Amino acid sequence: MTSESAAEPLFELPSELAIDTDVARRVIDEFIRTQLRQAGFERLVLGLSGGIDSALVAFLAAEAIGADRLLCVLMPYRTSSAASRTDAESVVAVLGCESELIDISPMVDAYFDGSGGSDASALRRGNFMARTRMAVLYDRSVTWGGLVVGTGNKTESLIGYTTVYGDNACAFNPIGDLYKSQVRQLAAAIGVPAEIIRKPPSADLWPGQTDEAEGSFSYPVLDRLLHWLIDRRRGADELAEMGFERAVVDRVMRLVATSEFKRQVPPIAKLGPRTAGVDYLYPRRRPGSART
Amino acid sequence: MPPLRIALAQIAPRLGLFDENLARHRELIREAQGRGARLIVFPELGLTGYQLQDLAADVAIRLDDPRLASLATEAPDASVVVSFVEESDDHRLFIAAALVEGGAVRHVHRKLFLPTYGLFDERRFFAAGDALRSTESSLGVRVGLAVCEDFWHLPVPHLLALDGAQILVNVSSSPGRDLAATNEAGLGTASSWWTLMATYAQLTTSMVVFCNRVGVDESISFWGGSEVVDPAGRTVFRAPLFEEGLFTVDVNPADIRRERIGLPVLRDERPELLVRELERLVALRAELGENVRPPHEADAIAKTNGRPSRRARARG
Repeated sequence: MTSESAAEPLFELPSELAIDTDVARRVIDEFIRTQLRQAGFERLVLGLSGGIDSALVAFLAAEAIGADRLLCVLMPYRTSSAASRTDAESVVAVLGCESELIDISPMVDAYFDGSGGSDASALRRGNFMARTRMAVLYDRSVTWGGLVVGTGNKTESLIGYTTVYGDNACAFNPIGDLYKSQVRQLAAAIGVPAEIIRKPPSADLWPGQTDEAEGSFSYPVLDRLLHWLIDRRRGADELAEMGFERAVVDRVMRLVATSEFKRQVPPIAKLGPRTAGVDYLYPRRRPGSART
Repeated sequence: MPPLRIALAQIAPRLGLFDENLARHRELIREAQGRGARLIVFPELGLTGYQLQDLAADVAIRLDDPRLASLATEAPDASVVVSFVEESDDHRLFIAAALVEGGAVRHVHRKLFLPTYGLFDERRFFAAGDALRSTESSLGVRVGLAVCEDFWHLPVPHLLALDGAQILVNVSSSPGRDLAATNEAGLGTASSWWTLMATYAQLTTSMVVFCNRVGVDESISFWGGSEVVDPAGRTVFRAPLFEEGLFTVDVNPADIRRERIGLPVLRDERPELLVRELERLVALRAELGENVRPPHEADAIAKTNGRPSRRARARG
């Protein structure tokens, strides 16, 4: 299913980020099945945007547990691009999974119009949309009887390009340790439609928005930078010596530091003898924890 | 010496479910023995699962726990290596590997090196063992047990071989990571481990048996890839990655003798040199300074710089 015919490669893959996609699929598929089994669930639900991340997770979920046990929820807002919806629908068609279309416009508009927020910034609106989608997914988690599977990647998590309790809310995340470039590599290997892999990533919060224009970076460069900074522990000076622009290095390091809170469980004031996450440390999935 | 059939139980233990894992052990011991295996090896914490955290105390057992002995009676004609959380009389919790045979626990190895870095946090929950001994076995050769991280420390295979072990058994719960496409098998962890196993086999001219688990605990996926390496460092058998299974492999224990006669590097080891130099280094690291220099060296220094050393003063 991999598209190899195009003279121009589908995406740019920095060599140090290349992964063995067979091993990755093997690990992720088993990870998904184990998460479900340990939680006492058999089904998954995810928000399908039409972008590459959620498309890849849908393919992985279908591979791991079968498309019939996957519900993809399409949750456009009235300004969402028509292409996003078409792409999401093509994923559903290819996989043959269950899907549902829920227009979140009335919910979002009711809040902003009703609370005098009609002049709300794009950021406020975008965050509210992300959290509305989260609320819908967790409601569908009950009606569908499935766990909410996360679709955020490592790049956006590290630079904080996520909405807390919005798009980053999930029961577990199978692709959260893959950079965008690796998401593309895996997506190509598993058969995500080429148009979805090729189009510029976008949060689709307003027409024409793209991640790379909004953040003024390119994913291959950002991914390489994060890889050397985080995974290979290179310092700012070393990164500059490697050829990364100093200003970019400084900016990315700032983004990583300022978004630390988004990647962690909120701290609890330590008062009692045993405190969750501090000195009360159990596996999330332990004997007796599964839904029965 | 007749060929020795080894069974590698590359299983996916269920986290915190001792009795369920015990039943699975029993089942596989019966099956392995039915297939003629005389050495049956289970992975690190196969009876409990790995990522226990505060569950460790809940699943810990004493060495006289009848459930442990029950595994031995399951295999009257085989030697079985199993791993669990051991609680000592003074209530320390160890990651233990035991050799059970002839209806009893023959030998227990407590994990010596507890990784507490990166994704590991073992020292928080466990005590480290203090002894390293090889053991007699009904296999006709001495066996050396080690647990996972123990093999990231050179002295462990070295000491086991010096103590007479001819088969080194490492049981592991090694988390797979570093998925770079440039690595053998696409997994950095696998390449590192396989390199270690082959190297230890060669350096100690011993048979190396590595049993690593599969399955998932929380975020971590264990990669399997269990293997048997002959005393020349050749991989005799390698189990698939991430796949649960009971794998049997035949080895020839006579190869150990052949290798040690032909390549007598173990004979030529210098433990007395090691002890001397280690004593010096231990003292040096404790900042005991010049007192640890050999006397003739201290004298030489005293002569050349014209000032008597403290040792020379004390003597004078």
